[in-house]
Amino acid sequence: MSEARRPSAGKTAAVAVPGVGNPGTAGLSAGRKPSLWKRIQQHRTLYLLFIPVLAYFLVFKYWPILLAWVVAFKELQLGSGVFQSPWVGLQNFKDIFLSPDIPNVISNTIEISVLRLVCGFLPPIILAIMFHDMATRRLKRWLQTLVYIPHFFSWVIVFGVVFGFFSVGSGFVNNMLAAFGFDRHEFLLDSSWFRPILIGSALWKEIGWSTIIYLAALSTVDAQLYEAAVIDGAGPLKRMRHITFPSIMPVVTFVLCINLGFLLNAGGEQILLFYNDAVLDKADVIDTWVYREGLARLQFSLAATVGLFQSVIGLALVVICNYFAKKLSGRGIW
Amino acid sequence: MYKSRSEKTYQIVIHVLVILIVISAVFPLLYVLGMSLTGQVEMMKRNYFVIIPHEPTFAAYERILVSPLIWKSFGISVFRSVIGTGLMLLLTVVGAYVLSVRTLPGRNIMLFLVVATILFNAGLIPTYLVVKELGLIDSIWALVLLYLVDSFGLLVIKIFIENLPDGLIEAGKIDGASEIQMLVRIVVPLAAPALAAIGLFSMVFHWNSWFDAMVYLNDANLFPMQLILKNMLTAASSDAMQSLVINGSAITPESMKMATVIVGTLPILLVYPFLQKYFVKGVYMGAVKG
Repeated sequence: MSEARRPSAGKTAAVAVPGVGNPGTAGLSAGRKPSLWKRIQQHRTLYLLFIPVLAYFLVFKYWPILLAWVVAFKELQLGSGVFQSPWVGLQNFKDIFLSPDIPNVISNTIEISVLRLVCGFLPPIILAIMFHDMATRRLKRWLQTLVYIPHFFSWVIVFGVVFGFFSVGSGFVNNMLAAFGFDRHEFLLDSSWFRPILIGSALWKEIGWSTIIYLAALSTVDAQLYEAAVIDGAGPLKRMRHITFPSIMPVVTFVLCINLGFLLNAGGEQILLFYNDAVLDKADVIDTWVYREGLARLQFSLAATVGLFQSVIGLALVVICNYFAKKLSGRGIW
Repeated sequence: MYKSRSEKTYQIVIHVLVILIVISAVFPLLYVLGMSLTGQVEMMKRNYFVIIPHEPTFAAYERILVSPLIWKSFGISVFRSVIGTGLMLLLTVVGAYVLSVRTLPGRNIMLFLVVATILFNAGLIPTYLVVKELGLIDSIWALVLLYLVDSFGLLVIKIFIENLPDGLIEAGKIDGASEIQMLVRIVVPLAAPALAAIGLFSMVFHWNSWFDAMVYLNDANLFPMQLILKNMLTAASSDAMQSLVINGSAITPESMKMATVIVGTLPILLVYPFLQKYFVKGVYMGAVKG
């Protein structure tokens, strides 16, 4: 408190007046807003506390953003720093549009993300409604606990499980095929099986965990609504249609908009583990391309430019979808 | 209450469907476990179709656990999970407290700086260049410093602090507590549930990360466990696996891989039952915030 008062002495007369004789509430009393400088002085411990946080954001978030814009217009050479490298204007953008990989990479990214969205969206909602309607309390809790487990596994582990299921030599699926007299199949090297396996395993990992947001919404529904509906003779399907669906619609809209907003994040980490040369034509997305081109082949400028492109479009998508989420469901990410 | 026939049918249908989904969530793990315990001999004898091994063998586990790299990587994973989460919580709660003070001049600009990073990221290559510039390539600290503040968690904690009863913070101010005393004595204890949830998610994140280590580290002695496991799993017939599967031994490469998966899941499975409810609460907190 005393620190707050000290710098004010003799700074500006207008501020010093109301505080006189009552230093503890200087600035709060007299209904008058203290000057900006005075308020900054009052809060200087807070600014000091914020310095490390700000430093983190500047160094690890804003510096890379600045570099992204600079590198996109430069030819970054190995060994020389970013700022010594020569400017090349729009050359990187030209190279990208002329690159033979890019059309395929972009269409893969869009196709895989849309598939993910379409296949991954409804199952958790259905599962959440079934959980909500289950009349057995204890069994329900056990089943929930079990179905959440895969969410906590890393993609490395999920890949291991997929390998255990689909590998040629001893994968469960192939063992079943062999047991029933069919030929074993190289699922993991077959590009037409890549996407079903990718999206299926992602669904396996997240189906349970994704129910939680819907269950949170359903838990706020008044149980009396259901009781009244039963008395009025509404069967389970009618209750679902008239009570359950309307209660989770805002959340469903919200989740849909947010997922659309992050559409371009096609799950590069998962694909990087799951793909191989045999399925590359169906599997290569922006994230994996940037990783290979940038860090394996050291084409920093090209890779950074594609990454920048992705971020800009991603930002536009998130902003648009957040706008619609707010409009349609009454809430957004911010 | 639900006595009619349609109610009973409905209950039976949803129970069957849910149980089927849960079985498909759990069965793959049990199969992996079974495979990891199956030796070469039994595999041949039963024509490669084994779900429950009749003569379980722990040979694959023994082979994995003698590797010094596994133990080293376990230590590194523990380090990044504990130190990474601890420092992250410290900075995030400080940031959240500062930004929760409504009268702070410049608060909106500071808040914008934080939120903007959720919406726009620079991408892999520029971040890599910065880490390189800072001399953090081949340093475990890169894996800690990159996640020093959790922007989304900061927003959740900030709202949690703002929703605390006004009287508590005011009382602290009237008693003449300094900002740091307020933070340590009042805000942190009251925001503990939010901090715990965000800390747990951060632990899981750190424990499961492998891609950042692959990008920023070259020295295998610094690899976290998931990256070591990844290398074991994807090394189809390469030297890494071959050196582990010695000729004529009783272990198949598949059972080695499956044992690797179990070793990777075990730490999570051991703590999960105790922490499950906190995780769920954490999601509720985020969901309420929206």
